[in-house]
Amino acid sequence: MQPFERDGVHLHEMFSPLSEKHWDRIKAAHLLNRAGFGGTPDEIGRLVALGPERAVDSLLDAGPDDEFFPPPSMVEPAVRFGFKQREKTAVTEDEKKEIRRQLRDLDRVSMRELRLWWLNRMRYSSSPLREKTTLFWHGHFATSNQKVNDPWMMWVQNETLRLGALGKFPVLLKEMSRDPAMIRWLDLGKSRREHPNENFARELMELFSLGEGHYTEKDIQESARAFTGYRVVPESGAFRFSRKDSDLGEKVFFGETGFLDGDRIIDLITAQPQCARFIGGKLWKFFVSEDPPEEAISGIQRLLYSNGYDICETLRTVFRSEEFYSPKVIHTQIKGPVQWLVQTTRMLGIPLPDAGVIESSMASLGQVLFAPPNVKGWDGGRAWISASSLLYRYNFAAYLLSGKARILGGGGTKVAEIPLGEIAPPGKRGSADALLETLVFRVFNVPLSGKQEGAYLGYLAARPSPYSDSTVLDLIQFMMGTPEYQLN
Amino acid sequence: MKSPKEQPVHTRRQFLRTSFLGGALASTVPLFLEKTFLCLDTMAAATTGQITTGKEGTILVVLQLAGGNDGINTLVPFGDDAYYKARPKIALPAKDILRISDYAGFHPKLSAFRSLYGEGCLGMVQGVGYPNPNRSHFRSTEIWQTAVDSGKNASAGWLGRYFDNCCAGADPATVGIAIAGQTPQAFASAEPKGIAFSNPGQYRYMAEAASDPQTADRFMRVMNQPDEGHSSLSENAGGSIGMLDGSPDRSGGTVEFLQRTALEARMSSDRILEITRKSKSTVNYPANQLGNNLNLVARLIAGGLPTRVYYVSQGGFDTHANQLPAHERLLGDLDAAVSSFVADLRAQGNLDRVMMVSFSEFGRRVTENASAGTDHGAAAPLFVLGGGVKPGLYGSYPSLTDLHDGDLRFNTDFRSVYATVLERWLGVPSEMVLGKKYPLLPFV
Repeated sequence: MQPFERDGVHLHEMFSPLSEKHWDRIKAAHLLNRAGFGGTPDEIGRLVALGPERAVDSLLDAGPDDEFFPPPSMVEPAVRFGFKQREKTAVTEDEKKEIRRQLRDLDRVSMRELRLWWLNRMRYSSSPLREKTTLFWHGHFATSNQKVNDPWMMWVQNETLRLGALGKFPVLLKEMSRDPAMIRWLDLGKSRREHPNENFARELMELFSLGEGHYTEKDIQESARAFTGYRVVPESGAFRFSRKDSDLGEKVFFGETGFLDGDRIIDLITAQPQCARFIGGKLWKFFVSEDPPEEAISGIQRLLYSNGYDICETLRTVFRSEEFYSPKVIHTQIKGPVQWLVQTTRMLGIPLPDAGVIESSMASLGQVLFAPPNVKGWDGGRAWISASSLLYRYNFAAYLLSGKARILGGGGTKVAEIPLGEIAPPGKRGSADALLETLVFRVFNVPLSGKQEGAYLGYLAARPSPYSDSTVLDLIQFMMGTPEYQLN
Repeated sequence: MKSPKEQPVHTRRQFLRTSFLGGALASTVPLFLEKTFLCLDTMAAATTGQITTGKEGTILVVLQLAGGNDGINTLVPFGDDAYYKARPKIALPAKDILRISDYAGFHPKLSAFRSLYGEGCLGMVQGVGYPNPNRSHFRSTEIWQTAVDSGKNASAGWLGRYFDNCCAGADPATVGIAIAGQTPQAFASAEPKGIAFSNPGQYRYMAEAASDPQTADRFMRVMNQPDEGHSSLSENAGGSIGMLDGSPDRSGGTVEFLQRTALEARMSSDRILEITRKSKSTVNYPANQLGNNLNLVARLIAGGLPTRVYYVSQGGFDTHANQLPAHERLLGDLDAAVSSFVADLRAQGNLDRVMMVSFSEFGRRVTENASAGTDHGAAAPLFVLGGGVKPGLYGSYPSLTDLHDGDLRFNTDFRSVYATVLERWLGVPSEMVLGKKYPLLPFV
């Protein structure tokens, strides 16, 4: 047993870095799948050439990509405020109704655009790990526009999550306590000295930092007092601290007595090793495996605790570790619907389908961005899969490959042409083995079992070679309609 | 005569052989799999008694009225002056009310409901709600769907917990069917069971997308078949015990889990398509969404699907402004659709086996707002309908003047309704699903 040391923390040998000689394209593809949204064989090849250490660095240290993704158009706070004022001053009920309808229509379009904007960012970002980690935090802070009802606020939160995604967790947690969408989501805006609302304080500890059972009802009451007076200015959508609504009195929290404010509460929470354990466990489950061994949990806990909750450095150790590339981990995770969609379009080299298709499909697949099912976010894992959602995945793949709109019930429009010349170049179409090898690596990133390979070869044997475009497309459709394609 | 143990086993085998896969394709299902289902059935029969399915057992249809139905203008307290005081613009004239007592009666559009009440197959549970009511659509819907206390969070839905705990041995795909674009949260669980589709024609593998549809279909079947070599199902009963209690070995094979789910999808899809092709209603349904969806449910029931829980919904009940015409249209649609559904079930001879239970995330405020509408409230009545329902009024009409924050006070916890349905209708212990005992209501 070779314990491994990083930043003065002694870790189990599973954290020791993968050696250069074990680095290959299967592992590089795995890194791209888990730390991003997959890639084409070319992109995988580039990571192979970098070696494990620089490959991980290239994902973690990718620069900002904001200039390529200007904000989507949305009803900004001043405009929304104007609508509300007009509604107030409107004389007849019909006028009021018409104003509300206009705003509702604008918001509906905004949400579609916003979802498409984020999915495109995942699809094309030069910093895919940042997008992937933003998705992790979106599931963690699980805020839904179904209650917030303000696409602009949802976008602001998304940007805040993105900026803080790979930074230090306590900083992000403080940002979230001041985030307009969060303030509305957990009723913080109504919390005042006389009547502290405990919703945010409770979720702060139960869902965002410690997990159930690691605080008392008294802790919730005391901390709820510290978050009174957090407000959003309607005209600007900016955070404001309302002194007159806040409780500046003495509080007792986690052993400290004093005039504690919200930020101090967060410092006291993150000072608990349990917080590092909770966050570390969630990171491990999202990026590595559903059932982390105790050594993994305690390792990531100590890493986070000792580096001040530095998400970037913690993930660097995880993505370099031997454990991350073990056969228990590679190709064992069920892709979530967002991962499935973005990774599929990247794999096929096509753009995302249009916004209307995305709206209805993501609901059927069970993951609508900016609308997690509840405060706990998406359960993930097997909860993604029911008989109907699995069948929908198979059909969605068939739709993307064939462009036949009626496969999705007629709602689809024309999809992009698949670059088949690139996916299956002429040189690979002469022999069944060569074609299959090329497609299997592109679609699955791992080799198949002999039985499955045999089935595909049997199909190709009955087809004339060199293999036509329609044979290649059929083969990809068969491959995507399997349990194996649902895994990363 | 067959022994009780033999009966479901036989049914299941026939189902597998003839309906799930169709004659020609039955050979592609490995023998071990059939054996496994057989074994499951035998074990389930031994451990939990006979498996009841929707083919011969009782059936529950959950109807969601989304948006917060105005219970006060649905079951109207026309005998109370306070009603007319609180709602000068939108109170319904007493002369139009379809009376069931000196105090309350149905909205004039609910004539079928009034008749069903008289015929003895409709019960109204009054004042249904829960402590610390939440007035957000999203959150309150979630509370109804998960059946947890107002301050608690849960991911699993109440029907999902019913499927997990009480449907051992049943086909996981068809334990519940929601006629909807997405699965309702009520069905949610760690390994989801039940399915959702808005159109049964879409609930199938679209092989025609490929240039060679026949091969595509065959491939899909072959590739989505549990692998005899390393399937946890293949060895012996040990592998299937996990399935029986609804908690398969988590470490054991994500691929096998996916294969199993795909197989279930395929089998249930074949079955549902066959039924919808063959079974036609003899009754006319109104041309509205709810009518179409209830028509589909009736056909699936007539076709002998093993499903015991159906879920349908009607939207648009969030009547903040100009409520009268909107609510009238909604209740008119509801009345016509439910009326056809009941007539259809009666013609099929299935009315005694089916119970429909409605819910809405909240009722509305007692006092109308300035826009001739109503805002989000709390307690409200819900209806239970079916041949097995004991007709009448349950609970009491909440006072229109002794209010809580301007809202009706609930006197019946909605989980008492769920518990009654679970215990008395579906015949399962409710505590496993709801976490504790709730008083049962005498509507069954």
